[in-house]
Amino acid sequence: MEITVKKIGETEKEYIEIGCHKHDEHVDEIVRFIKSREGILKGTKDDRQYSIALPDILYIEAVDERTFIYTEKDCFESGRRLYEFEEVLSGRNFMRISKSVVVNLMKINHIKPYLNGRFSCVLTNNEQVIISRKYVPDVREKLKGGSL
Amino acid sequence: MKEHLKTCLGNFFICVTLINVAILVLGCMLEPEVKFGYEVFVYPLIYGFLGTLPGLVMFSRKELTIGQTIVREVIQMFLVVAIIVGFMFGRYINVPGAAPKIIGVAISVVIIYILVTFFGWLIDLRTADKMTEELKNYQEKMSNMC
Repeated sequence: MEITVKKIGETEKEYIEIGCHKHDEHVDEIVRFIKSREGILKGTKDDRQYSIALPDILYIEAVDERTFIYTEKDCFESGRRLYEFEEVLSGRNFMRISKSVVVNLMKINHIKPYLNGRFSCVLTNNEQVIISRKYVPDVREKLKGGSL
Repeated sequence: MKEHLKTCLGNFFICVTLINVAILVLGCMLEPEVKFGYEVFVYPLIYGFLGTLPGLVMFSRKELTIGQTIVREVIQMFLVVAIIVGFMFGRYINVPGAAPKIIGVAISVVIIYILVTFFGWLIDLRTADKMTEELKNYQEKMSNMC
């Protein structure tokens, strides 16, 4: 297998491209490894533990004292509390948007108004999560490049 | 609570403007011959304040579902109608000929309520568009940093 590393201009977006004959589990493994370089979280599903790459996470939700991590296709449970995720992921592209949700800002497609002064984030899989009125100023601050 | 009060304040100013328009339209239709003194400028402020008070009903520390929000909006609208009509016609409720005026005012209050909600939504829509724009810039910036 040939490995090529190409230097690109400062203005260009960095990328990794894999050329393969078949998209099999070996390719998935390489993709998982690359994604894990940006951080992972542990979650359980059907009594099995999984490592979830941060870029794959859509949002993390607390429901009745339990915490769930949502990806495009799966939902994993975590033993950690939402505030812990908020703290751990605050330096990443994650942000608390309501009492019960921490969202991956990179997975929001667009934002639209919701009822009663709240806003709704439409995610890349068309799911929607609500930004509470209280968190709107913080979200705007972070999007503008603040350090929240 | 702070954000809720900000919204109530915004609604108050939209209310005052729309009440001015309603007084003008209803006055021209029902009693075009009546002349007023300077005190008339106080009434939109009083009605605006009364109309904003039930907005406190919408305050909740919990996240409301769509259903709960709609129910509260409807309750709030009826409260606004009851308060404004009660304040304006409380003493004249049984006077013959008051009914058309009461109905006119009640309809105006409902129209104003719907317009205030609509204008509030338009402001939110503009904010949401701005946030989406900021989000796209943020995502681009972060993608380039990776």
